Amino acid sequence: MKPHSNAAWALMLPAAAVMVFVAVLPLLAVLNYSFHDIFSLDKVFWVGTDWYEMIVATPRFWASLGRSTLFSTLAISVQIPLGIAIALMLRKVGPRGASLMLMCLAIPLVVPTNMIAGLWLALLRPEGLGGQALSALHLTLDYKFTALHTWALILIVDTWHWLGLVVVLAYAGLSSIQPAYYQAAAVDSATRWAVFRWIELPQISGALWIVLLLRLVDSFMIYTEVMAINAGGPNDATTFLSLELGEDIKAYSYGTSAARAMVDFIFVLTLVWVFVKLRQSGEQTQGGPP
Amino acid sequence: MTRGGMWRLLACIGIAGFVLLPLVQAIVLSFTTTLATEGVPQGTIGLHNYANILRSPELRASIGNSIIYVLLNVAFCLIAGLPAAYGLARFTFLGDRHFLMFLLAFRVTPPVVLSLPIFILFARSGLVNSPIGIALVHCVFNLPIAIWILESFIAAIPRSFDEMAFVDGHSRLSFFFRFLIPAIAPGIAVAAFFCFIFSWVEVVFARILTVTAGKPITQAITSLFTFRTDWGLVMAMTVFSLIPGVLMIFLVRNQIARGFVIRT
Repeated sequence: MKPHSNAAWALMLPAAAVMVFVAVLPLLAVLNYSFHDIFSLDKVFWVGTDWYEMIVATPRFWASLGRSTLFSTLAISVQIPLGIAIALMLRKVGPRGASLMLMCLAIPLVVPTNMIAGLWLALLRPEGLGGQALSALHLTLDYKFTALHTWALILIVDTWHWLGLVVVLAYAGLSSIQPAYYQAAAVDSATRWAVFRWIELPQISGALWIVLLLRLVDSFMIYTEVMAINAGGPNDATTFLSLELGEDIKAYSYGTSAARAMVDFIFVLTLVWVFVKLRQSGEQTQGGPP
Repeated sequence: MTRGGMWRLLACIGIAGFVLLPLVQAIVLSFTTTLATEGVPQGTIGLHNYANILRSPELRASIGNSIIYVLLNVAFCLIAGLPAAYGLARFTFLGDRHFLMFLLAFRVTPPVVLSLPIFILFARSGLVNSPIGIALVHCVFNLPIAIWILESFIAAIPRSFDEMAFVDGHSRLSFFFRFLIPAIAPGIAVAAFFCFIFSWVEVVFARILTVTAGKPITQAITSLFTFRTDWGLVMAMTVFSLIPGVLMIFLVRNQIARGFVIRT
């Protein structure tokens, strides 16, 4: 057991001070703006909850929320299982091959966010390697005007960007499993699925929770890639919550954008809260991660 | 080779192809002249794009700017993160779980939510156009990550390790620098790696906080997009921007995934 000492708060002070300055104060400012109509920094009028009522009353907002939720669901249900599958496979290719593949998969993580889409758009130009391959196969990727293609491209690009994080963390979790567990399973002649469900999944769950959480919130508020690929088009088909917020900010409507930012923030916090509660109840029933 | 081995090899080639294809395209373009200039016709293969980066003072400066604020950010995160991680790993205290939840809440706050007030606050504090401003604001998402990673590395060391040093008469400060930091060096490397890459690739804050000067590499790339974009130059700059990250991946390849466990 760790000793109890409230003096340990002194150790939190530098971190807490930084977070108050760069996160808490700005957030309070956003909250304050969201109740005001701001023409300029010295012409500010109290409007109460008008902005919130306006946002909640627009069907476009609910449509964006639906699209963000759908995108987040799709991204997670593709990336997490695929990442785990790749990690399981890499456990069998030997340490050198696995190390090479992990390094390769990690490269997209270090690409500047504004160039993620740029790399793919360069690839898909008619004279690019991808564009030529597609035309040789008589396929078209009409991501500017066909909504389904835009969605597919955004999902592919997002998967390309983040798959490495899932694989790296799942692989690390798998590597830490003691061989004795597998021997015991072999003695019991457990099925492959049983080994995964009762040995491998519990061992990687600690690392998977964090990657799941990061993917959940980051895909829910995806902005830069979507903006670069088709700016929310065609016909708002890829206008997510973050893009609506971006439009308000670019229009310099401080009051509405602050209220919208607060609404988005509350959605993200609710997601995280549900997530943490689910995890805590999961820990109680299963005995928790090691 | 067994049949399973064949399938795994094919799968690896497929995955590597998917990951590397856009990068291969970028590298090919970066060596190709896409916009003809005097004496260099379109389609020429060579180092012209890279030479153009070195010739442009703005592009050169942007590389330096990015490196400065990213290193500052790593320093801030480690300096503020190490004591906090130690406290969380070794003691329970009133509100410790709430503090972790508080960190988590701000790690997940979308940057656009905070961008406007941060600009106003930093403009009043004289932190716009300064690398210190960007380095500070990147702590919003990097400091929580640094604390999580460092905490799990410290928690993995038994408490008797600390007590031995104190019994030997070392003060807490001397213990910190002479025992703890060397013992968790891999953890510091992993935390520094994640802070480095997340700060290096971030664009929203880095853009709003550099109005007239101190433009980072990401902004320099964006400004190359015009109605006649020189794709070769854009890709040369992008390839350039990948070098530090790829080097970092290589350096921490064996530690990268250790200690990435979230506590709430």
